[in-house]
Amino acid sequence: MSAAQNSTSPAAMETDEVPIEVENDKLEIISGSHNDHTSMTFSLKDEDHTLGNALRYMIMKNPEVDYCGYSIPHPSEAKMNIRVQTTDRTSAIEVMDKGLQDLIDLCTVVVDAFKAEVSNGDFEYDEDAVWP
Amino acid sequence: MDLSGAPYGSLGTLSGPSITIQELKKDRISFILTETDLSVANSLRRVMIAEVPTIAIDMVEIETNTTVLADEFIAHRLGMIPIDSTDVERIKYTRDCTCSQYCSECSVELTLHVKCTEDRTKIVTSKDLVSNNPQFQPVVEDKNDQGILIVKLRKGHELKLKCIAKKGVAKEHAKWSPVSGVAFEYDPYNKLRHTHYWIEEDAGKEWPVSGNAKLEAEPNPDAPFDYNAKPDRFYIETETVGSLKPEDVVSMGMKTLLDKLGYVQMQLKEELASHQQDQTGWSY
Ligand SMILES: [Zn+2]
Repeated sequence: MSAAQNSTSPAAMETDEVPIEVENDKLEIISGSHNDHTSMTFSLKDEDHTLGNALRYMIMKNPEVDYCGYSIPHPSEAKMNIRVQTTDRTSAIEVMDKGLQDLIDLCTVVVDAFKAEVSNGDFEYDEDAVWP
Repeated sequence: MDLSGAPYGSLGTLSGPSITIQELKKDRISFILTETDLSVANSLRRVMIAEVPTIAIDMVEIETNTTVLADEFIAHRLGMIPIDSTDVERIKYTRDCTCSQYCSECSVELTLHVKCTEDRTKIVTSKDLVSNNPQFQPVVEDKNDQGILIVKLRKGHELKLKCIAKKGVAKEHAKWSPVSGVAFEYDPYNKLRHTHYWIEEDAGKEWPVSGNAKLEAEPNPDAPFDYNAKPDRFYIETETVGSLKPEDVVSMGMKTLLDKLGYVQMQLKEELASHQQDQTGWSY
């Protein structure tokens, strides 16, 4: 009897050793100046351009934001850094929270629009037709 | 955020994002997403390809293999077979499960046993896989579908194996992707000049416009370049592999995106709470 596995990722092997992994390092604030709450770099684990670019766009929409940019420092490290610099009327954490909330609201609008459109059924629909 | 109001400058002129479905078939959907940013539309595309969970064969235990194909070759072919994942939400990720290796809450077991006893070629297909959970079966397109060919057997060849199918996302392995492709286009006339065409003589002749151009007004070639224009109309079409309905791929993709955002927001609040504790604890 022989065995073959078609997926042996390093991540899978690590989880074999530690069965329950409590994820508490999802978000890290990279320390800069302790007193300056208007400039911060947030490091997000296991995130990429999917979240980074949309969040960057949403944060940049805020008029209280002077600068927002993101980068993935190394392709083999699953980390995405997002830098926020704000005016002194607000703080980077507040702006980050608002950016996330705005993007959640925007996505909710898209989901609702899509669901309404599907139930509306005003389009070409053919259950049995298969491409082409 | 009030999307119809005027929260931040230019967004106030928009009525908020909207979607028009053009076509919905058993295995594909085509829709237009408007009045949203390129980054958001691209997030939807990326999430549909790589982060919508499905079920796929992840481990194969081969008991007998006297076919012409090697064990790992067959294991790889099995992994690629789409499995109906309509009820994927009922299955846990193995990493979130309390079991040590796998169990019925985080996996589906499929077995296969075929032996060729006749003097002609016998084909082994995805239809020969027997699932222990009727909700999760290899995808069959219609009644004429003969299944996906796995291996061909000659007289005396035998294949007997057990597969463990698990929940996963295509970020880890492409076999978990619910789609075979996503077509994504904006600005078919290239008015924004985001595309630089490689040409011999005439771009208009050498690069015919796509089908989506029919849905937009042809631009005046003498019009000055609008350097303030931004893409806001996205033509998205996706074809599934059959594991999920195309409309579910889109809504599950958006849900995945929302879950991600919600999770990060929660972590931010926790970080903020510990930050404030730090600040009251120490004096700088
Ligand atoms: Zn389990």
